[in-house]
Amino acid sequence: MSLIQTENLTKIYGTGETAVTALDHVNIAVNAGEFVAVMGPSGCGKSTLLHLIGGLDRPTEGNVRIEGVALAEMNDDALTKLRRQKIGFVFQFFNLIPVLTAVENAALPVTLDGVRPAEAKKRAAEWLTRFGLGDRLAARPDQLSGGQQQRVAIARALVSEPALILADEPTGNLDTRSGDEIASLLRDVTKKYGRTVVMVTHDPRIAAYADRIIFLKDGKVVDETNLERKNKDNAQVLADKMSSLSN
Amino acid sequence: MNLQLTLAWRYLTGRVLRTTLTTFAVIFGVLVIFGMNIVLPTMMEGFKANMMAAGGVVDVTVTHVSGGAFPAEVAHKLDDIAAIRAYSASLERTINLPPDFVDGDPARPDRISAVNLVGVEPEAARSLQVYMIDEPGRFLQPDDTNAAVISQSLADAWSVRLGETISLPSVDGLTDLTIVGILPPLTRPGNEEVLVTLAQAQAMTGQPEQINTIRIALTSVDEAARAEAVAAIEAALGSDYQIGSLDPGSEMFASLKLGQAAFNMFGVLALFMGGFIIFNTFRTVVAERRRDIGMLRALGATRRTITGAILTEGLVQGVLGSVIGIVLGYLFGAFVVRLAAEPMKSFLNITMGKPVVSPALLITSFLLGVGVTLLSTLLPARSASRVTPMDALRPSVAEVEYKRRAGASFIAGLVMIGIALIGLVSGNMGLIALGGLLFLGGLILVAPALLRPIAWAFGRLLAWFYARQGIADLAQGNLTRQPGRVTVTASATLIGLAIIVALGGMTTSLTGMMDDLLHKTLGSDYLFIPPSVAVWNSDMGASPEFAERLRQVEGVEAVTSLRFASGAVNGQAVSVLALDPRTYPQVAGLDFTEGNEAEAYAALASGRSMIVNGAFLATLGAKVGDTVEMTTPNGPRPYTIVAEAVDLLNAKVVTAYISHANLAADFGRTDDVFIMLNLKPGVALEDVDAQIKAIAADYPQFTVMAGKKYIDDMMQYMNAVWAAMFFLLIFLAIPSLIAMMNTLAINVIERTREIGMVRAVGATRKQVRRLVVAEALLLAAVGTAFGLLAGLYLGYVIVSGIGTMFPMTYHFPLAGILAGIAVGLLFGALAAVVPARQAARLQVVEALRYE
Repeated sequence: MSLIQTENLTKIYGTGETAVTALDHVNIAVNAGEFVAVMGPSGCGKSTLLHLIGGLDRPTEGNVRIEGVALAEMNDDALTKLRRQKIGFVFQFFNLIPVLTAVENAALPVTLDGVRPAEAKKRAAEWLTRFGLGDRLAARPDQLSGGQQQRVAIARALVSEPALILADEPTGNLDTRSGDEIASLLRDVTKKYGRTVVMVTHDPRIAAYADRIIFLKDGKVVDETNLERKNKDNAQVLADKMSSLSN
Repeated sequence: MNLQLTLAWRYLTGRVLRTTLTTFAVIFGVLVIFGMNIVLPTMMEGFKANMMAAGGVVDVTVTHVSGGAFPAEVAHKLDDIAAIRAYSASLERTINLPPDFVDGDPARPDRISAVNLVGVEPEAARSLQVYMIDEPGRFLQPDDTNAAVISQSLADAWSVRLGETISLPSVDGLTDLTIVGILPPLTRPGNEEVLVTLAQAQAMTGQPEQINTIRIALTSVDEAARAEAVAAIEAALGSDYQIGSLDPGSEMFASLKLGQAAFNMFGVLALFMGGFIIFNTFRTVVAERRRDIGMLRALGATRRTITGAILTEGLVQGVLGSVIGIVLGYLFGAFVVRLAAEPMKSFLNITMGKPVVSPALLITSFLLGVGVTLLSTLLPARSASRVTPMDALRPSVAEVEYKRRAGASFIAGLVMIGIALIGLVSGNMGLIALGGLLFLGGLILVAPALLRPIAWAFGRLLAWFYARQGIADLAQGNLTRQPGRVTVTASATLIGLAIIVALGGMTTSLTGMMDDLLHKTLGSDYLFIPPSVAVWNSDMGASPEFAERLRQVEGVEAVTSLRFASGAVNGQAVSVLALDPRTYPQVAGLDFTEGNEAEAYAALASGRSMIVNGAFLATLGAKVGDTVEMTTPNGPRPYTIVAEAVDLLNAKVVTAYISHANLAADFGRTDDVFIMLNLKPGVALEDVDAQIKAIAADYPQFTVMAGKKYIDDMMQYMNAVWAAMFFLLIFLAIPSLIAMMNTLAINVIERTREIGMVRAVGATRKQVRRLVVAEALLLAAVGTAFGLLAGLYLGYVIVSGIGTMFPMTYHFPLAGILAGIAVGLLFGALAAVVPARQAARLQVVEALRYE
């Protein structure tokens, strides 16, 4: 069974004449341990797809199943609990709480889940150390570089040991080098730590780190590509595909 | 929860200025409530300690319901009650002494400014209490005359020894008393006692055959037995007597209580304004942290967790503010108590003790402070919980509320104002008071819709002022883009200023009235004033002989006096003042609001008639023409109300004026407590001054004063009081200052990026500073405009309310309005100082990067 399964997933913003269809009967499946990238031009609905999978937003029609459980039937509290325990998020703007330290930020999901703060911080510190931030535990977000902040955010996504990591343009706000670091870190997350990652990006070079690419256009899945391994050609192939979609 | 506390604490400490301002709003309210509730009870305690002078094993005390004296034979009704072991009838009077009377040394502060004269039957007194008298002294004996027993401490103060004499004022002038026995030094609080025989006390106070207290010791202290005994005593004495504590000076308590209520109202208003400020802050906090909150939600924080986090932040501020408020309130209270100690002692003869703090007050103040904070946080916390995870992912754009608010709330506001105006016209006191509240509420409701036009009008003014700076438009735009926030802020200003202007109106009107009354009722050439004006109970009067001697002085045209007794109507204590209907109108006069002056005086002379003041009519619900039953020491007597009038000294207290003859017949009192004297035309003060003062020297309980000087003194005193009051009011407007500072600080923080942009495109620091100042002045102008409107209305309401008791006409409070405008604009400018500096100091690049 797939970890993620979407069934005719549809999202329409607004009503009447101003209605915009962001997603139009999307059916995809993601298996456990996969690193999937979602690509497409601006406004193709890729972020919306991610938000719906993560239970951050509700579909207009259709359903999302995580490990076979339908999100549409959950109330707000159940969704919240699902997010807390099964899903980790990584955002473009890092979204760290400015008044908390790196380790406190990374510990947030487990702290929210009722784990004792000391234990929560221990777990967070382990992840941060793995990501090379062992010496910056007590730093506040504004004392960290963009790449470092995003690594804190990934540690935060992993601290509750979720099966699924959802990343929305995780490198969108970073320079090329930091972007590569983060993308390869996300690949490690699947290969080394056995999680599933779904990443939205418009950058072919970053998408090339994934196992599989799903292309969206105007809210519909238009193509899928499996990549055997990361190489420069892949990036070029993806770039070409993207430009063909944009036309 | 731990995380919530951590978040609350970090967020709070991360915005020091805003946190300080918001917390200060709570502190201030709690300070006023706590501080003032320390001061007034401390005064009351002092007052009580003065009054309660009970010693020995007294189980039951009997007094007359009026608080006055009653015939001595009443005590014999107790003879047959088996449960009574012993009783002692006494006549007790607090005698206020003139300055330096005891120590004779103006340089030293007076330790003794009053004594309790206690007349007892020696045998009976000793059956109730053991008097430890040092040898060779002795206790009083039944046939003693001019003998007294005092404590060692009083003897020391007077520098007298056994066998020597002390003088005390009495109705017949100074009375010399020989010390026959000395008791151990006084240790309990309250006045020193001078024990004399009952007959002696009756002679000295001019109350023959009268007593005012019966102390009773019971055979059993068992609770049931006591209840039974009390029932038996009540049955024997009838309903004119009360059992329990002696409660003279209830009128004093009443005015202190009133003061306390007024201050509590101020405190609650201050807290209310504090609530506005907190509400404003947290609303912004939630808007500002949309992204953080959304992120927390995305990470798995439930709605309840978010609500909890915001409420925790409120709680931390509430607790912090309340604790600091209580501490500062205590210091403030202690300071005021210390400050008031001296005037209280010299004017009212009250010795104040340590500040009184009751646990209930502590808890109430704390709960009020925390409660208001939490309540004001509730709505923002709820709206925070409605932030969706999606909010974390949207780019943040400062919100601009351009909603038109001229909808339902505007109409509701107009309707409320309409009802308030109708209420005012109706003349019904209840409706008028309700109208005051409606008017305020209505103004707050219509304010958002009127905000834009008002801001525009003032904006034009500013534009002219800041010619060609291009700032006024921006300031005006900034201000009107958050009408909700501005309205809440302006409302705080509104309430503060409304109070200033309203009370300004009241004081202007009161001063006018006082001036009239002073000249009308105390306009005589000489006044003989007792130590405690208007707390007549504790004043030792003078027998008619004093007035008679004054009358004999060459050049004196007329002398008239006021006499006093305590009475009661329907269980309500009434100050009964007696005047001579023939001479009183010649020398002084009452200010009549209802009834014919000449007819009223004539009626007093002919039967049981009385003139009453507004407080009497209002309290007892009586009207002119009614006949009421007056409780007197000799039983109930019917009195007919013939007119409504007032004199200056008795305006506050429930008062009835009757004739000297009736007071003597029904209350057994013939001593004068206040005397006024007029000279013949053409006679100068200097001609008679020496003679008059020589006579008055025998009656040191009176201060002799030329009427003009007294009026001048009173007016000066009153002006000082008004000045103090205005100062206090400005103090109370402080929350509006905090509110404005807070809003401006919020505006600056929220628009950091915009300010960076304005700077980037070429605005100088000075221009940015001016921008904030302009916004502040606009904000202040809006609040002031509404405040003046509300204040004028409320002032009118208060004056018409008082007008039902006092003859008072509304004077337009020009001073109050000017003060209001000055305070409003000053506060506006003051409020801008810190935020303006902050805005000007922003680094352009950092500001642009700011999220």
